[in-house]
Amino acid sequence: MKRTTQNKSKSFAVDTTIRLTEEQISRDLYPQKFGIRGKIWVAILVAICLIGAFAYYLQLKEGLVVTHMRDYVSWGIYISNFVFFVAISLVGSLITAIFRLSNVRWSTPLTRIAEIIAVSAIVFASIIIVVDMGRPERFLNLLLHGRIQSPITWDVIVIGTYFFISLLLLYLPLMPDLRILNRDPQKNPRLLNRLYRFGGSFWKGTKEQFKVSNRAITILCIIIIPVAFCIHTVTSWLFATTYRPGWDSTNFGAYFVSGAFLVGAGGVVVAMYVFRKSYHLEKYITVLHFEKMGRIVVLLALLYLYFNVNEYLVPAFKMKKPEEQHLTQLFAGEFAPIFWFAILIGMIIPIFILIFKKGRKPLPMFIAGVMIVIGAWFKRYLIVTPTLLHPFLPMNDVPQSYKHYFPSWQEWAIAMGSLAGALLIITFFARVYPIIPIQETINEQNEKAEQL
Amino acid sequence: MKRLNNYRITFLLAALLISSAAHSQDSISKQPLLDVVYFSYNNSIPYVQVMARLKQGRKFDPVKGVTLKVYLDSISSSSLMTDKAVTDETGKADAAMPPSLQKEWNASAKHTFIAEASGVKEFEGEKAVTEVTKARLLIDTATVSETKNITATFLALENGKWTPIKDADVKIMIKRLGGNLTVGDEATYTTDSSGTVTAEFKRDSIPGDANGNIVIIAKVEDNDTYGNLSVEKTAKWGAPLTYDSTFNDRSLFGTRDKAPIWLLLMAYLIIGIVWGTLAYLVFQIFKIKKLGRRVV
Repeated sequence: MKRTTQNKSKSFAVDTTIRLTEEQISRDLYPQKFGIRGKIWVAILVAICLIGAFAYYLQLKEGLVVTHMRDYVSWGIYISNFVFFVAISLVGSLITAIFRLSNVRWSTPLTRIAEIIAVSAIVFASIIIVVDMGRPERFLNLLLHGRIQSPITWDVIVIGTYFFISLLLLYLPLMPDLRILNRDPQKNPRLLNRLYRFGGSFWKGTKEQFKVSNRAITILCIIIIPVAFCIHTVTSWLFATTYRPGWDSTNFGAYFVSGAFLVGAGGVVVAMYVFRKSYHLEKYITVLHFEKMGRIVVLLALLYLYFNVNEYLVPAFKMKKPEEQHLTQLFAGEFAPIFWFAILIGMIIPIFILIFKKGRKPLPMFIAGVMIVIGAWFKRYLIVTPTLLHPFLPMNDVPQSYKHYFPSWQEWAIAMGSLAGALLIITFFARVYPIIPIQETINEQNEKAEQL
Repeated sequence: MKRLNNYRITFLLAALLISSAAHSQDSISKQPLLDVVYFSYNNSIPYVQVMARLKQGRKFDPVKGVTLKVYLDSISSSSLMTDKAVTDETGKADAAMPPSLQKEWNASAKHTFIAEASGVKEFEGEKAVTEVTKARLLIDTATVSETKNITATFLALENGKWTPIKDADVKIMIKRLGGNLTVGDEATYTTDSSGTVTAEFKRDSIPGDANGNIVIIAKVEDNDTYGNLSVEKTAKWGAPLTYDSTFNDRSLFGTRDKAPIWLLLMAYLIIGIVWGTLAYLVFQIFKIKKLGRRVV
């Protein structure tokens, strides 16, 4: 125990010299019951979700009039939230698929974190779209009568596909761990035992099973990359195929994808830090993981900043009449505080933190990660709302409330409820399943030992 | 001393220039301009157009709301064409020949139109007069050995007879939606001793109506003696325009049952490949399950 504590502050190179037994790895990574802090955390999330559910009940009862969305701003905080969820879900493909196919071995402890973030985000992306519908009972009509020419239909298809792929990518690598969880039923509550047996009682860890499973995971990793790019490109096309100031851009797909990678990576960094602290996973999520993720995040932040410069500087240089009001509102008008907050908090300050080696330590990384995620949420708000306030053909004699938008408390409650819901899925998942793959960690440990 | 004198001269010149500029500003007064222009369309009922403008420096501003009385030949109640013409925002008002003056109109080859303005301060009591000689413009079309010709004849009434007008400018054009288009290379043709101009129609592919009809116009514009005359004739010389509606075609903006085939193929191909692969992967899970059952 003393040795482990000493190693916490040391580099990954020192940690790799630690020979951990299979039992120790299994014990360290075994799902743990919630402590008092965990229970408080869950209670807070459940409370936020319940408030959100109550606000949605009011919205269902009264209609979308309870929101502050009107004829000008018909896509408000819900769609901003949807774009945010879709963006953060992209991280599953980055960490799991891209790293796996590139044979990046250090990312193994992060794959499941990334995948559960992806699954929970995509679940709530789907839910928040239904929330945005005035008549949710007509959702089925979108599938029955949807036009294949509409990017909205493409989005429904691609979100469904990405959700299914993410589920498979979460489940397939989990099967060997389910065998470990099934080994000692007395350790687990009865309900979890049933769940583990249902999911993985058939996994015996034979060579044939590993062969089939590995091939399936590789196919999934290949297929998830284009689907992940599609999901966010199609989401960007919801905007870019509409001729409006701020959306009329050929760059939107790449701009969205780069932003999605950044927020997803930022989300993983936050989750890494929280799980490492909460479950004492310092031996598995090491300083070197933060160092490497820090480099990736700073690269992604620079890339996203580059796309932002393209998205705003070029139209600002031309200042076309229809764009002028929109850009002025962003740079120096009503939305300027949020705009500069999103740029500074979401990109510039994290870049300055992470560009230095000291900034790539766990705590500064966590702070930078939180900044990126918060900045990214506001950035999505800025992409969606200000454009809608500046239509090419303004309506005559509209009420003043049409010309400004600030979400109602119901909108805030539902949006926050959805964010809490996504966090709740991640939290419960970490309670039920190992958040770091046990079997893969053991295998890698054995491989290292053989190499030594 | 000499230098001081130079300063004085410069100062005086500057003062003179400034005062003359100020004086000229004051002296630009608004000068009312009232014009009467004669029109004849398709040799039917003639009409006159009265224009009311205010000249201020080099600017001509149309004046709205000028009430006009228009007379034929003399100012009397019996020769009044109209007393209700009021200029619009372009400063123009039309007055057609009323049936009551038909006898007077037919009685002579030359006529005078008199317009008398009121209702606007600057135009109070203003008069404008124009004199015209009755004229006719005739148009005909003919196709001679695949050459399409348009002939216009310009005639004036002299001593009770229609006499050809020589050396007059006549425009021959095709009537289009936003303006008129010349039929050939020339914009204007000059009448010969028989008062005739002939223009060759060189725009074979010009779209006409559904039957290929186009409208050809012969025009005499701003003639000092005869005023403005125009005559039209429909000829089947255009290309028939068939409206090809794409409304029910497959398109990106069509209804769901009218989606483009290429889009359907692409979409279903991608969906098929991706979901086919996913189905295969689900099958692999069952395979893993089957493999597990074999192990005791």
